[in-house]
Amino acid sequence: MPFLIEHITEAVISMLFVVLLGTGALVVAAIARRQRRDKYFQRIDDLRQRYSPVITSLLAQKLEYERGLAVLKGISGRDHIFVLEQLCLEKRPTLDQVPILRRLCEDLGLVKVWQHRLSGRLGASTIREALGRPGGLLERVARLHFLVRAKASDNLGVIQHRPSWPLLVKALDDPHPDVQAVAVRSLAAIQEPDSFAPLVTRLHAVVLRPSTLSLRAVKTALVSFPLKQTVGLIPSLNHPNRRIRFLATDIIREIVERHAGWEEEFVLDTKVFPPELSDVFLSQLCFDENPDVRARAAPVISHLEDPRATPVLLTLLEDTQWFVRLHAVRALAKRRYLSQAPQVAQRLTDPHWMVREAAARTLLVFGRVGSDHLVSHFLGTEDRYSREQIADEIQRAGLIPSLLAQYGSGEDGAEGRVIEQFAQMGKTSYLVSVLQSSSERELRKKFLQRFGRYPDPQIRAWVRHLATREPDEELRALAEATMRGAVSKGES
Amino acid sequence: MEEWRQIFYHAMNMFNVVIVSYFFLANGTYTLLMLMSLGSVWLHNRRLSYQGLDELRESAVTPPVTLIVPAWNEQTVIVDSVRSILRTDYPSLEVIVVDDGSTDGTLSLLIAAFRLVKMDLIYRPRLVTKPIRGLYLNPRIPNLLVVSKENGGKPDALNVGINVCRTPYFCTLDADCLLERDALLRLMRPIVRSPINTVASGGIIRILNGCEVQDGKVVKVGLPKTGLERFQVVEYLRSFLFGRTGWDLLGGTLIVSGAFAVFHRETVLETGGFQSETVTEDMDLIVQIRRWAVHHKRKIKMKFTSDPVCWTECPSSLPMLGRQRRRWQLGLCQTLWKSSEMLFNSQFGVVGLVSFPFHLYVEGLGSVVEFLGYFMVPLALLFGMVPVTLFILFVLLSIVYGAFLSVGSVLLEELTYRRYPSFRDLMTLLWYAVLENIGYRQLVLFFRVQGVFRFLTGFRKWERVVHVGAATS
Repeated sequence: MPFLIEHITEAVISMLFVVLLGTGALVVAAIARRQRRDKYFQRIDDLRQRYSPVITSLLAQKLEYERGLAVLKGISGRDHIFVLEQLCLEKRPTLDQVPILRRLCEDLGLVKVWQHRLSGRLGASTIREALGRPGGLLERVARLHFLVRAKASDNLGVIQHRPSWPLLVKALDDPHPDVQAVAVRSLAAIQEPDSFAPLVTRLHAVVLRPSTLSLRAVKTALVSFPLKQTVGLIPSLNHPNRRIRFLATDIIREIVERHAGWEEEFVLDTKVFPPELSDVFLSQLCFDENPDVRARAAPVISHLEDPRATPVLLTLLEDTQWFVRLHAVRALAKRRYLSQAPQVAQRLTDPHWMVREAAARTLLVFGRVGSDHLVSHFLGTEDRYSREQIADEIQRAGLIPSLLAQYGSGEDGAEGRVIEQFAQMGKTSYLVSVLQSSSERELRKKFLQRFGRYPDPQIRAWVRHLATREPDEELRALAEATMRGAVSKGES
Repeated sequence: MEEWRQIFYHAMNMFNVVIVSYFFLANGTYTLLMLMSLGSVWLHNRRLSYQGLDELRESAVTPPVTLIVPAWNEQTVIVDSVRSILRTDYPSLEVIVVDDGSTDGTLSLLIAAFRLVKMDLIYRPRLVTKPIRGLYLNPRIPNLLVVSKENGGKPDALNVGINVCRTPYFCTLDADCLLERDALLRLMRPIVRSPINTVASGGIIRILNGCEVQDGKVVKVGLPKTGLERFQVVEYLRSFLFGRTGWDLLGGTLIVSGAFAVFHRETVLETGGFQSETVTEDMDLIVQIRRWAVHHKRKIKMKFTSDPVCWTECPSSLPMLGRQRRRWQLGLCQTLWKSSEMLFNSQFGVVGLVSFPFHLYVEGLGSVVEFLGYFMVPLALLFGMVPVTLFILFVLLSIVYGAFLSVGSVLLEELTYRRYPSFRDLMTLLWYAVLENIGYRQLVLFFRVQGVFRFLTGFRKWERVVHVGAATS
């Protein structure tokens, strides 16, 4: 058959017709969807208005439980489970609300529904039924069942439903990664001690085999468990795989650091951290062939109430790997290691800048003793990099104003030499900006007399400013004289 | 004479074939992307119900991020922007504002608003940049650092930010953009959850014009007043909701909007940072990372997610729209030209075999083909080479197909995020989705052709789009 222009025209007309129809269908779909959603939200809003105060009062224990429950049980309709779910889990419960919410979900039959859904037992519904409730269609499409299972798993985690932990552990082997990830998270929320071991096994699996589950997800879950669970990581700490040893050490470090954040002088005692675990850290992990393990072990060791801890940390302070030294220096940033300030100060000349920086910060944590070390090192060292690093930390920590205040009010001691050092290094921006905003006459006078002729452009600009704009006559005259002196010195 | 006539006829026929094949290739791919995105965005939206942002927020394992905000003469917005950025909901966040040698009060306003002090801190550059003039800090706001530098353009400013940044990931954010409070958490989610090293993650950019802003936060979403801005709303929906989602689904992401994107710092450093050779440094970086990954045999992932939202002001006048589109087109051509080794290169997988050729032939050269089509097809009609009926039908088809795709993107928005709550807004969007193809599309095409022309003539200047503050407060 010859290819005629009429055929092309016919094809274009057909296409035009199809596309036009398609566009119309999309427009209708958008409008219909909007109307349906508006209707749906209207219903949800009405229900929310009626029942949310009941749930809020129940959670705040301002309403008798049985009465509240009876009111909520009055919600009917094909979508009542969905509505109850929406109402109960609308806001994330606080810790003290969780037990009430959990009981409420159990009594309303939601927990049972979620457990059934998580185990893959979805109620067989007709298309009509499915269309009648939000999410109903998902149950009819097998490939989308994972959405239902994952949501059920999430809900059980939100209410921290402890009896559901075996189901959640089973869900770790779900064919869909979403369900696995949510199950991991829910197990972390529930913190059932018996689920720690399966999670550790999962951690090993993720490290040793390609996995759809992210390592970070499993690690996050394990990190959220309490300190006493860490004993379950001993086999991982002894594992031949260096990455598993590293992860186990790092998980323990995260847990310990979290607890340390709650108490100022936190110490790992034998009640929560058994001696066999301490031994692994003090005799094994600190000498591990994997430097990452040594590095992550340092912070844990620093919290141990064991006489071996300090010598081990000092050994790590001399490690061949810079990041091990870095972690060791950071680990020592506790007031109880005050006596180790000289050892920390030695790290101010470390070849790696991050270690130098950490050493300066650790010394600042030590308070007066640490800052004395810092200042004396700053004034005495020949190491330019070390000096730069300390100057950096003094500025970042916002110590310049107090340094200048001390200088202005006291004898011309170490503060004056530190300021001189700053001026010599050309690091005068902060000094000058403090002086510019200061109204302390004595400080400005003293600074002017001692540093006014310093060949630093910022100090010069400040002196010039004083000489021209300063309302205090004596200071202005002094600034003028300083300027003249500087000029004649420059000319000669 | 007859011979010339034959040649002319032959050339015209050839061009008509090119036009028709371009039409089918472009629209066919867009339809495919739209259908894929419909499924993907719907599914993503469903999955959000168990996303676990709280866990991400509270986890000690969530990696710290630095927000790098390059700013040049942004005195009208900078303080409010930084205030809003500092309130971003993220567990460990640092903010670096890089003042790229502004000639207005950008730096002084920042210093005054945040009581910053100039400090002589150590600067350890790993990327070569223009010299910096100073680092400003307030010890009481330790997570904010302002860097002042000599003017060197946006890529240079971003590179300074990368040099100063200490976190494993950084997020680039334009100074005039507004982030939704949890946008960064959402943007980081695919990075945290992925078992593969995700080196770039991009979010959706939505148009701020017409929205109500209070305290650096969008409190009421609405459509802008003018038609020009409304067309851009539809265009952005199409581009982000089904364009980028579709390519992401295919694993062929070539563009991540630098106005709001997270990158893995070490990877960016290894690839040499943002380059000044092109005027679209964001696309250039993505392509550069792709090439680096193949050359260094690294398994990487790039992700586009449609729920982290960043609001930006779109041009509200024709000259500004022209500047923006010319720059985009110029940057696209420059980047594609620079990375021509990727074209049909199977080493790059979907990117080399599908995405790159598509961007080159449809997004790049396609504009010229389409533009010429507007002249050549009527010419063919004039010479009697195309029947009038067919000509009219084809023009109609092209308009209706465009409307189909735009309406599809509005439907996609309706099925998923429904950011425009009023019914009137929906109807307006649908109307503009249809109207877009008569006039606006041709106008944008004209700007794009100008961009291609600039590329061919070696033009490299960055045309600045001046914003007028189109959101209400």
